Amino acid sequence: MLALLSPETAHSPNADDLNTLFWVMILIGGVLLIAINIGLLAIVGRFRAARGREPRRLKVRRPAQIGTAGAFAVLAMIAFVLGVIVTENAKQVEASGPDGLQAASVRTAQRSLDLPSGDVAPLEVRACGQQWIWRYEYPDGTYSYYELVVPVDTAVVVELCSTDVVHRWWVPGLGGKFDAVPGESNSTWFKADETGSYDGASYAFSGAAYSAMRTRVTVVEVPTYESWLDEQAAGIQEAQSFVQRVNAEGG
Amino acid sequence: MSDGRDARVLRGASRGATRVMGVQRPELVTDGVPSRGARWLEMAMSPDHKDTGRIFIGASLSFLLLGIIAFLLIRLQLVVPENTLIDPVTFNRLLTFGSASLVVLFALPLAIGLYTYLVPLQIGARTLAFPRLGSLALWLYIAGAAILFASFAYTPPETGFNNWPPLSDEIFISNNGPDVWITAIGLSVLGLTLQAINLAVTVSKLRAPGLAWRRLPAFSFSGAVSSWVMMVAGPAMLAALVMLEIDRHFDGVFFNAGEGGAPIFYQHLSWIFFTGCYLVFLLPAFGAISEILPVFSGKPLVSRGAVMASIAAIAPLGLLAWMQNMYSASIPIGWLYMAMGAALLVVIPIGALFVTWLGTLAGGVIRDRAPMVFAVAAISTLSFGLLAELAQSVIPVGWELADTTAATAASGYVLVGGPVLGGLAALYYWFPKMTGRTMGEGLAKPSAALIVLGAHLTFIPMFLAGLEGQPVDVYKYFEPSDAINAAESLDALNLIATIGAFVIALGVILSLVNAYLSVSRGPRAGHDPWGGETLEWFATSPPPPHNFDVVPDVRSDEPLRDIRDAVRRRGAPSPAPAETREPVA
Repeated sequence: MLALLSPETAHSPNADDLNTLFWVMILIGGVLLIAINIGLLAIVGRFRAARGREPRRLKVRRPAQIGTAGAFAVLAMIAFVLGVIVTENAKQVEASGPDGLQAASVRTAQRSLDLPSGDVAPLEVRACGQQWIWRYEYPDGTYSYYELVVPVDTAVVVELCSTDVVHRWWVPGLGGKFDAVPGESNSTWFKADETGSYDGASYAFSGAAYSAMRTRVTVVEVPTYESWLDEQAAGIQEAQSFVQRVNAEGG
Repeated sequence: MSDGRDARVLRGASRGATRVMGVQRPELVTDGVPSRGARWLEMAMSPDHKDTGRIFIGASLSFLLLGIIAFLLIRLQLVVPENTLIDPVTFNRLLTFGSASLVVLFALPLAIGLYTYLVPLQIGARTLAFPRLGSLALWLYIAGAAILFASFAYTPPETGFNNWPPLSDEIFISNNGPDVWITAIGLSVLGLTLQAINLAVTVSKLRAPGLAWRRLPAFSFSGAVSSWVMMVAGPAMLAALVMLEIDRHFDGVFFNAGEGGAPIFYQHLSWIFFTGCYLVFLLPAFGAISEILPVFSGKPLVSRGAVMASIAAIAPLGLLAWMQNMYSASIPIGWLYMAMGAALLVVIPIGALFVTWLGTLAGGVIRDRAPMVFAVAAISTLSFGLLAELAQSVIPVGWELADTTAATAASGYVLVGGPVLGGLAALYYWFPKMTGRTMGEGLAKPSAALIVLGAHLTFIPMFLAGLEGQPVDVYKYFEPSDAINAAESLDALNLIATIGAFVIALGVILSLVNAYLSVSRGPRAGHDPWGGETLEWFATSPPPPHNFDVVPDVRSDEPLRDIRDAVRRRGAPSPAPAETREPVA
């Protein structure tokens, strides 16, 4: 039962924060839900109309009213404070771990994230939504479609952009959802703790083939990442020269 | 005979005369005046708020049926992974049409229609403040709906439930679908906003002598508050629609990022509107429940003050929280904290309402008649939806659940609990006043049970599928993959949800059939079948065109109880002076 009710297992520190608060809110909501519904059923069952019974007026005094409002106010306050703390934590980009990529990449100001201090900058990739595929751009100018390949244990800052309509990038287990809107800058980050594939998708309605706008994050060891990057660059180079050759031949 | 001027004359005449109950006085009786044309034509053109309200209610219930058909087709497409029953563009059209039907053509007009019919009766007025404006509002709404439906003959809109640019810009959708959406929603929202103004003025200016704000029936008070919400939310949407149309056809750049505009501007405006809609889902249900519970448990609300203050507080706090739908957008985090704070503060008034309702039921003598059954079902269903919304209003949880079917499940619970169950509770409760006949009890309980069962069957699996990451609005979902975070198999959850959708539909249809049959065959109801405490039960059922021959002085928040007590002290047989068709003079 709890397995059914649980969100995707976190594979990044920020996703971990999100899941913690999810459980806190499910607990608060669940307790209130059970209290309201059990109370409702019990009262309706207990006070059904019967011959000769008169309604009993409940006296409500001001302290009871203030107490009730106060209890809900405390609840709202707790949720608010926890919400702010966890949001701030989740925005705090962690430094890459010992198994991660150690080379510093280009570092630009991030509007919505707090970057770690220290020598090692996070890896910065751009994720551009277009109808209906995600295009990823790496620091060395290489790019890939649909699949984002990143090294494990490395803080990856994902800068979101859109070339057409509103898209929304989310890979469950690697943090929250963030919009890619034309003309707006937005970003998120993750630090994957395990190699393998992670499925994600766009979560903003974007027209006819919206359902097909999925994506995959493939997390690999650092050497594999570097060789993949070289391969991808060589492949792109080859394809471009092929196109140039065909164009030249075809006039 | 019931236009504004005559009504004012009537009110003026009765105001002086009603100082003491039962004193002989001249009265105009307009009942039984021969009609000038066919009944339907007269009703369609009538400035009488009761005719306007009845058409509003009837039309909104028809769109509920059509919206449910779209919803069932959507659920059928999602019954198995990678289904090919409906093609993507048709699916998107159903989605756009279904959500517009359920929100703008059903939920809002049902609320406005109930208020249009009942508010003047509840506050002892003979008319709305602007009777002809009511007709205009009604026909603007019907015209908008007709345009949306007529579009099925050429190009229905396909841009999702809020028609966001840039997707709705001409570059991306060059057909006239978005124009249809803009026109249809624009006309309907314009009509509903005008009627909201009408209702707000009516409550402010036409209350019976002695009916202070604090003595207003909870339903009429929620009507005033809902009207204020519509006056904020409606114009926001109208402005967005006008700008979008200028962008589409007149080289505007309001939402064009490359030219100095910003798509996010439309998002803000459309979310202000849809947040307002959400409040208008809730407030009428809150008002109706707060009136039905005391009547059917034989004791007054434990705290009227708490109910009134809560209804008043929910509106501004809820509207201020419009950005809680935009946690993923690139908005400075401080604004999102403000939205989260406002959304969480709503917990206080809504919690106070639930506590007051439970306290009102406790110790009462509960009659399980149809309106009560629906009111209790609405309270339970709303508690699921509102608590799921509470969880999502915290930013990190919102980042996870928004735009998944978990978020749809929460709004679905609120839609079923508020406008559907709450709306039906109100319909069952006031149907005798509107038609003179009580709705059948035999179909009522199975209907309520099916709707509640169907809601859980639909929305619990959808919530769980959303936790696995099933996106909202997709025309198909996929089989699990080999990924680390791959979703568990979603087909069982989606199958149950589809079955649940049919159960909800069956329950709703039972009640609508019940209403249809009861108009002519229901058991006759007197002027006050439930033992109500508010002024509408003082009029006959259905009320005459001018509502009241005599508008009584109101001396407490239970005017009809005062009248009953006064009549009992005098030993008179009936508390309703307008029971006969004879002139009272």
